[in-house]
Amino acid sequence: MFGQRIRRVEDPRLLSGRGRYLDDLGHDALAVAFVRSPHAHARIVDIDVSAALAVDGLVAIYTYDDLDGRTSEPLPLLIPHPTLNQGRTPYPLADGEVNHVGEAIAMVVASDRYVAEDVVGLIQVEYEPLPPVVGLAASRDGDALVHADVPGNVAATMVQEVGDAAAAIAAAAHRATLSLSIERSASMPMEGKGVLARWDADDESLLVHTSTQSSTSVRQAIAAKLSIPVDRVEVVTPDIGGGFGVKIVHPWPEEILVPWAARRLGQPVKWVEDRREHFISSAHERGQLHEVEVGYDDDGRLCGLSVRFWHDNGAYTPYGLIVPIITSTQLLGPYKPGAYRVEFQSMYTNTVIVTPYRGAGRPQGCFVMERVMDAIAADLGIDRAVVRERNFIQPAEMPYDHGLMFQDGRPLVYDSGDFPASLAKLKALVGWDEFDSFRAAARAEGRRVGIGLGCYVEGTGVGPYEGGHLRVETDGSVVVSTGLTSQGQGHQTMLAQIVADELGVEMERVRVTTGDTRRFKYAVGTFASRTAVMSGSAVALTARKVRAKALKIAANALEAAVDDLEIVDGQIRVKGSPGSEIDLGSVAVLSNPLRYAFDAGAARATQFAGPVDPTAPPVPEGEQPGLEGTDYYSPVGSTFANGMHAVVVETDPETAEINILRYCVVHDCGTVINPMIVEGQIHGGVAQGVAGALYERMEYDDAGQLLNASYMDFLMPYASEVPHIEIDHLETPSPLNPLGVKGAGEAGVIPGSAAIAAAIEDAEGFAITTMPISPSQLFDLRRRHCER
Amino acid sequence: MEFLAATTLSDALAAKREQPEAVPLMGGTDVMVELNFDRRRPPALLDLTGVRELDEWSMDGDVVRLGAGVTYTRVIEELGQALPGLAMASRTVGSPQIRNRGTVGGNLGAASPAGDSHPPLLAAGAKIELASVTGTRTVSIDDFYTGVKSHAGRPDELITAVLVRSARGPQQFSKIGTRNAMVIAVSSFGLALHPDVKRVRTGIGSAAPTPRRAVEAESFLSSALEEHDLWETRAALADSLVREFGERVKAAARPIDDVRGTAAYRLHSLAVMARRTLGWAWADYAGGTA
Ligand SMILES: Cc1cc2nc3c(=O)[nH]c(=O)nc-3n(C[C@H](O)[C@H](O)[C@H](O)COP(=O)(O)OP(=O)(O)OC[C@H]3O[C@@H](n4cnc5c(N)ncnc54)[C@H](O)[C@@H]3O)c2cc1C
Repeated sequence: MFGQRIRRVEDPRLLSGRGRYLDDLGHDALAVAFVRSPHAHARIVDIDVSAALAVDGLVAIYTYDDLDGRTSEPLPLLIPHPTLNQGRTPYPLADGEVNHVGEAIAMVVASDRYVAEDVVGLIQVEYEPLPPVVGLAASRDGDALVHADVPGNVAATMVQEVGDAAAAIAAAAHRATLSLSIERSASMPMEGKGVLARWDADDESLLVHTSTQSSTSVRQAIAAKLSIPVDRVEVVTPDIGGGFGVKIVHPWPEEILVPWAARRLGQPVKWVEDRREHFISSAHERGQLHEVEVGYDDDGRLCGLSVRFWHDNGAYTPYGLIVPIITSTQLLGPYKPGAYRVEFQSMYTNTVIVTPYRGAGRPQGCFVMERVMDAIAADLGIDRAVVRERNFIQPAEMPYDHGLMFQDGRPLVYDSGDFPASLAKLKALVGWDEFDSFRAAARAEGRRVGIGLGCYVEGTGVGPYEGGHLRVETDGSVVVSTGLTSQGQGHQTMLAQIVADELGVEMERVRVTTGDTRRFKYAVGTFASRTAVMSGSAVALTARKVRAKALKIAANALEAAVDDLEIVDGQIRVKGSPGSEIDLGSVAVLSNPLRYAFDAGAARATQFAGPVDPTAPPVPEGEQPGLEGTDYYSPVGSTFANGMHAVVVETDPETAEINILRYCVVHDCGTVINPMIVEGQIHGGVAQGVAGALYERMEYDDAGQLLNASYMDFLMPYASEVPHIEIDHLETPSPLNPLGVKGAGEAGVIPGSAAIAAAIEDAEGFAITTMPISPSQLFDLRRRHCER
Repeated sequence: MEFLAATTLSDALAAKREQPEAVPLMGGTDVMVELNFDRRRPPALLDLTGVRELDEWSMDGDVVRLGAGVTYTRVIEELGQALPGLAMASRTVGSPQIRNRGTVGGNLGAASPAGDSHPPLLAAGAKIELASVTGTRTVSIDDFYTGVKSHAGRPDELITAVLVRSARGPQQFSKIGTRNAMVIAVSSFGLALHPDVKRVRTGIGSAAPTPRRAVEAESFLSSALEEHDLWETRAALADSLVREFGERVKAAARPIDDVRGTAAYRLHSLAVMARRTLGWAWADYAGGTA
């Protein structure tokens, strides 16, 4: 199974409309709608609900004043970092001040969503507008403050340095400075957020369904905030229509408010986010401004690199500094920077919060580093691929320690990778060396074409741990669960493949459950391309444990030595001796001595069934009943996947429209479990990379209104914009985990802007320093460059 | 919100007389978006989807009478020959779903400067048929657009049809969008050659408060074609002529900067589209296929 193109077991169900997403659940529930701030920054003077109270079907209106206990405190700051000394998080409902358009002020519970929205329309909120801080320039000016008690709007300043970058740059033969920026974008899963909570008054327990990337953590958060013993709360993820990072943030205000209201009202309560709410009250990403100084030698080798950047974190910092920390470390990609200094400031603005979106700070870093590589090549007149080759970390230098601290608080040490081999594959795939003549021929016809490269390294599979549980049922089927969640990536398929191989059963016999705290209580979540590495390894270890137990029981039953046994298609047999075998289901029966029987299988395990050793306990010493096991995987450090993309674009000399002619990917995620799933992940990632390079941006006006908060004007690429993607794999297995895998979830998106900017630059002949870029912007650049 | 469902045109007109503030609902691809975004909460909706009279098109001599409720999909499938410019524009509208629901009448009712049917209808010299309980009148497309998203119809009137002469010469349409499908035009341009009367007509979209013609560019080109006998000889157009035409089309536009593009880009792209559409249309004409 491992390494094969297995079709996803999820798909028949999802494609035939049998998926169960959050809004498919809880038709009996009361509905919620929110009054959200129309102002980017304002004091709330008064909330008048009198006009709303007469509406038929209204159940309750809650404002901050109704919140009790710990729900009235600010939401948690999830990943505190010592340099984040001005962290701020919102209240579930605004306490007197709103800091972005879309911040929740009042919660309406009603018989259905229509009524709830009508009530929202009748609630009068009086505001005293405050000056809004929109964009990094305004934030850095510091004329107006987002939070009155945060001077200069600076949430945190962080510096890391290896060697003396300033000295190395000063001493270098050549120097360059670059100013680069990347716009905001966002995850935009097809399914927005949603929460359904049911309170069982007799049991004093909560059952919560939520569209999250981390059900175990939401469970802890709800228990803590609502002051309920954690064993009285279970959190389940139904099918999830995409996450891409935005659903790793938790608890969202609604994940506290909906269960809180359900308990208070003693009735099921449901909230499903609409698209506009998703735009203005969930999270965005990207949004950075970089100032780079670099020193290099005559061959284009880096001597020193100094990067200062400003990260727009929006109104609050619930997810800490993860995004800018990743940018500041993963910017280095496959290169040795010489001396390196990075300093960033994470800045408040009166806009939606910024938390990881697929790629999580890496697309920005990759864009910066690859622009630097291209600038060096242009300055010295060296082929762009050659400059990269000269700066690569070599395979013999693995594991490679950058001397920096990574997002997991551990040293940034690359475990594996063969960058020269990856680039060689990419050059062959795209025809790098032949491109000059293609470009010249196109020019002769009046066409403009260009090629660009983008290389990245991605820390995947960050800790601390994941676990797996596996049980063989008496019918021989295998049920597996892991605590982390699935948003449609195909985790059920991939994990079933691993179990099928490790245990020796047919894949059809394996059923996998993810993200259900009733089944598995300890987990971290789905993010950072970590599922294959973390849960994959955990279920592999679990399967090995259960296999060992099965062999032990079977050895006893078959009167053979454990080492002589093998498991094939669920049958345990003596190698080379056909006829003597026992199926896993029977082993499960034997593992669990019974007093009662309900079927023929169980009858075989009852106390009068077989020969019994009256001197031994029915469950042998040191064993537990049942053919099941649990194990965990907790690595010392992250794995590092890598990849390189090459893009060929054509730009219209007149209209400045930008067309992608070819998109080539060489990808190294270690051992590939299922090429079809990995390629699917790359395809989706590339689509989002193209989106971030050419289409998607968040258009805020100076007042902090998001002008394009709908799919009419926020441009997602369609099939008509996503190019055909050519892929080649390189497999350098990770030494860190039992499977050698490195994670592939975010890969496709990371170098999109870097490679596409480079290709446009190659076609146009002037530097591209800001992404994304639209035809209108390219037209402006052309005018500026010929006016000069 | 009241929901009025008319099944005949006379019912619909009576309802509109009774409640002039009722918002007509055809395919709903504009109306429902506005309601969903809470941009308007009209007191009543007047559903016209059940009114058969609006759903049909017919020929009256060489004039197509296109019912206001005919969808883009049908224009594309059934009227590609008679109304090539409108059919081309229809192909660029939204997605298959939108083209199956959306109608030319709805596009006219919305009268958005970005609506894709306006440039080809301006270029073709269409007439809009407006009806009320007191009678029916037609308004030239040149007088139809009266301001940003407003038109010459009175509150008690409905748009019942568009009258367009079947094409006598090549027609072209070009649109610059922000991506390849499902886009609102950044700018668009329609052009029709009328060799029978030796006239060229144009339509500009998304580059002024209303859809409009580039009247001065049309006269310039029409007289240049006449002067050099080009309608008869069908000889190639001089580069300088095509260029000048582009510049004059551009001069007719009054675009703004917005999230889809800058005014400067809109002007530039209009000149490019004017040149290109003229080039394509003239090549057709010179090839004698029209
Ligand atoms: C996803 C999407 C993509 C789109 N893409 C495009 C595009 O590419 N190009 C484009 O031009 N448009 C586009 N539109 C807008 C819309 O589809 C078109 O304007 C369409 O022509 C509207 O037709 P309709 O029948 O749906 O009109 P409706 O929404 O029913 O009505 C539109 C307006 O006309 C009025 N109206 C309707 N019928 C009459 C009548 N008989 N008399 C008087 N007034 C009337 C209505 O009251 C309303 O103001 C798009 C819309 C969506 C949702």
